[in-house]
Amino acid sequence: MRGFRLIALLLCLAALPLLAACGEDKAENKPAPQAAPAQAEPAAEPQAAPAQGAQGEDAKIGFIYVSPTGDAGWSYSHDVARKVIEEMPGVTTSFVESVPEGPDAERVILNMARKGFKAIFATSYGYMDSMEKVAKEFPEIAFMHCSGYKTGPNMTAYFGRMYEARYLSGMVAGAMSKTGKLGYAAAFPIPEVIRGINAFALGAQAVNPAAEVRVVWTKTWYDPAKEKEAAKSLLDVGCDVIAQHQDSPGPQEAAQERGVYSIGYHTDMTAFAPKAHLTAPIWNWTPFYKDAVEKILAGTWQHQALWPGLAEGTVDLAPFGEMVPQDVRDMVLAKKQEIVDGKYKVFTGPVFDQAGKQMVPDEQVAEDKDLLGMTWFVKGVVGTTE
Amino acid sequence: MEAALIVPLLAAAVQSGTPILFATLGEMFTERAGVLNLGVEGMMVVGALAAFLTAQATGSPWLGLLAAGCAAALVGGLHGVVCLHFLGNQTVSGLALTIFGVGLANYLGTPFIGQRAPGFEPFDVPVLSAIPLLGDILFRHDALVYLSFLLPPLFWLFWHRTRPGLALTAAGEYPRAASAAGLNPVALRWAGILAGGFLVGLGGAYLSLAYTHLWTNGMTAGRGWIAVALVIFAFWRPGRAMFGAYLFGGVMAFQLRLQASGTDVPSSFLLMLPYALTVLALVLSALRGRGASSSAAPAALGVNIEPEG
Amino acid sequence: MLGLTVTRRMEPPRWGSIFIFPVALGVSLGVSCLLLAAQGKSPALGLEVLWSGAFGAWYTVEDTLLKTVPIFLCSLGVAVTFRMQVWNIGAEGQFALGAVGATWAALTFANLPGALLLPLMFACAAAAGGAWAAVPAWLKLRLGINEIISTLMFNYIGILILEYLVYGPWKDAGSHGFPMTSQFVPAAVVGHFPGTRLHWGVALCVVCAVGLWVLLTRTRPGFELKASGESLRAARYARMPYNTLVLLVMALCGALAGWAGLLEASAVTGRLQPSLMVGYGFTAIVVAWLARLSPARIALFSFFLAALRVGAENLQLELGVPAAFGGIMEGLILLTVLAGQFFNGYRIRPGGAHR
Repeated sequence: MRGFRLIALLLCLAALPLLAACGEDKAENKPAPQAAPAQAEPAAEPQAAPAQGAQGEDAKIGFIYVSPTGDAGWSYSHDVARKVIEEMPGVTTSFVESVPEGPDAERVILNMARKGFKAIFATSYGYMDSMEKVAKEFPEIAFMHCSGYKTGPNMTAYFGRMYEARYLSGMVAGAMSKTGKLGYAAAFPIPEVIRGINAFALGAQAVNPAAEVRVVWTKTWYDPAKEKEAAKSLLDVGCDVIAQHQDSPGPQEAAQERGVYSIGYHTDMTAFAPKAHLTAPIWNWTPFYKDAVEKILAGTWQHQALWPGLAEGTVDLAPFGEMVPQDVRDMVLAKKQEIVDGKYKVFTGPVFDQAGKQMVPDEQVAEDKDLLGMTWFVKGVVGTTE
Repeated sequence: MEAALIVPLLAAAVQSGTPILFATLGEMFTERAGVLNLGVEGMMVVGALAAFLTAQATGSPWLGLLAAGCAAALVGGLHGVVCLHFLGNQTVSGLALTIFGVGLANYLGTPFIGQRAPGFEPFDVPVLSAIPLLGDILFRHDALVYLSFLLPPLFWLFWHRTRPGLALTAAGEYPRAASAAGLNPVALRWAGILAGGFLVGLGGAYLSLAYTHLWTNGMTAGRGWIAVALVIFAFWRPGRAMFGAYLFGGVMAFQLRLQASGTDVPSSFLLMLPYALTVLALVLSALRGRGASSSAAPAALGVNIEPEG
Repeated sequence: MLGLTVTRRMEPPRWGSIFIFPVALGVSLGVSCLLLAAQGKSPALGLEVLWSGAFGAWYTVEDTLLKTVPIFLCSLGVAVTFRMQVWNIGAEGQFALGAVGATWAALTFANLPGALLLPLMFACAAAAGGAWAAVPAWLKLRLGINEIISTLMFNYIGILILEYLVYGPWKDAGSHGFPMTSQFVPAAVVGHFPGTRLHWGVALCVVCAVGLWVLLTRTRPGFELKASGESLRAARYARMPYNTLVLLVMALCGALAGWAGLLEASAVTGRLQPSLMVGYGFTAIVVAWLARLSPARIALFSFFLAALRVGAENLQLELGVPAAFGGIMEGLILLTVLAGQFFNGYRIRPGGAHR
């Protein structure tokens, strides 16, 4: 009995130094950016957070990501821009990644708002409702929501015309494919993905009118194993160029293993599949974010719905892989210039859906609102939009 | 679905089922020694991370494989300490291990998302891959798949024909009798946990070094749980485990190929198959011979060995 | 082994319940501090951020309480089943089915007034969750199928059912293809206390806690429940047949987990979507094991583990530590408590016995 109590006592004593050791660092480390977290802030809402940072304190900008920043994809591309923002004078940034949509997101946004952040960027459709709710409570904070459609007096909905870059990548794919069958590993049947697939198909058909795009839904944004398997299933049915609306380079690996070509997404994925990667439609959020943050801090930002594209540099095409011949490059770059100059708009009619119905009249361009709510596939796409 | 897709589908099933096979055999090893280890998911993902990091650092996927096995065994060792020496409830301890292992792997692995590691590449086995149909299905994979072909027969041989195997069986069926016969059931169970854990780690390594060459949080996506179910589905027999692993591994490959060929099926239902089939198998065997499944289980499975006195 | 004698105790030592958890917590914190240091973060700062994330301000305490509600309800049910040595690890699936049942009522009867719709939703959630738990129970009693595996499988099947519904028949036409149902009508939303974000689920927790306490201490079935957990032999002397008790207890657990699902869907999110599933069912197992069958302790540990979740999120925001940190601590605490509970049943004495 005594020996036993002794052991228990020893354990407790052993635990104490551990806790003390943890405490030692306190003196040496200066606290990270935590302006006023520990003070209890009772019902002092909405906060009277001044537009300028208080007494030379850095303005805090927050970013909320739906997936890990390392994914070399969607969140990564936003984070690259965040790092540039971080370098701006008088600005510090924080980010939270892999935040599930729903109540957790709302809590994170609220947390940031309560801590006096000046602007919060939320980069997923599913954050929209949460952001709207919190925006109403904190009118002095700028809420920037990506890939949604709700706006407000202090809430901006922004996105990028990725479909323009997709069109160009479709041209490359159509030109490089021997079988004319293109495979597309896609995440969820939502308008932005469907729009991308359609633009890709139209681009391919501009080069090869008989081109066909097969679609497989993985129901995940980031799961390399599943995405790779999806790509393999497309390869098994005879596709010889793989494109993706996914965050991981899984499909690129599959293409390289089978010795065929691939189109990346979000960022240049050449490192993962140097022999297969033709090009990729990529994001470049830096110009837009820099501009937005500068204007927000200066108080001149206008909240609205914004949709910049190739012309503004928000979307782009990654450098071509070595295997792309010069004539293809010239053709695609020429088209890119046309789009940048405003001389050509993707989704110019005639455009037909899978059933043959004409969705965009000849010579006319589909309107933005139709593009934003696109739930049908163009002719030549094999797959369902569920 | 086109007939031409069947062979690629079966090949994909083999590949997809391989990590599950490793994990199932690992868990089976542990369970036959008498320890129920529900921490497979956690151990598998730790193994995947260890393999990825080691392969990246050393450039050798084989070293990564070794590291995976050791890391998973180490994590399993926690379970061993808690259950074999502190007599903790094996069910709860295993669950705690899963929560811990998954958290640990995600925590340590987050900085490495989006990076590549050198891994195993597929190659064709010289003569065998020329066999029509079977060659395409079985012999155009990477080295780990071929390794996994050898495991079930080795497993059977070990458990039925070697002394250590019989000793381990005794630890799993009648630990008291075993210790009366001069064996040390606790040490035997330790061996079961560590060796089984090693195999589970190999399953995890497959995901990050062969199936893909990438790492992501939650890489195992529930495969560890499927392995736990499979052990029961297989009635603790390695051959049936192989069949089950390819069956369950093939489900996802099947669902994707159905889509690729233009058919649309609600994927959620297909994904339910492994779990529903396990329950069904249990029900059927229980109906056929009352408690057949429970009689197939090692008699002392999940029961801690109380110290004497 | 090692020159120590291990002997059984007749009854757990009094200091067991006081000492074991703090020591376990200390060990877990220690290891977690090491992990923080290994990533180059200051452990002291990490602990402080963890604390302030959960308790630093009223709104963070609100967040913690909001998370406590589902954990508490699930834990209550699981604790009861554990007491009967029924290893129900299916709380996650029962949670999902409860949410599904409630959503069905909310979508089908959207025209009813709140006074009718809400009770209907609660009934549906309890029925769905309870049924989902009762099936594995029945399989165990009738066919001898191990409930660990069956409830585990039912977890996944339940979650996939939820996913099927939100991707398919129940998908909101206005959600642009995202998997979620339409927003619940106001009549279907469990309301908030004015001035805070806390919802009536908190009151439900209190009611359930009191109800369980009354059940256990003042009623015959409750007494039998406590007693039959000790041993099957004791159960045979009870009036209620063991089988009935098991079914009842599992159904009760399923109902409670189902209510947790309802509250998350209705009060917190306002619609059914896959991101509802964050692992409360598994955390409930941890709580149930730590707290045994005392509603007060269950409440305490639920609150504690909810605080851990919320604090870990703050850790990510402030220090860039992956939120998985919370999972590490949760798992470690349970492992160390399990180890510590050894001392409840055995004592170690120096001096080797011949063995």
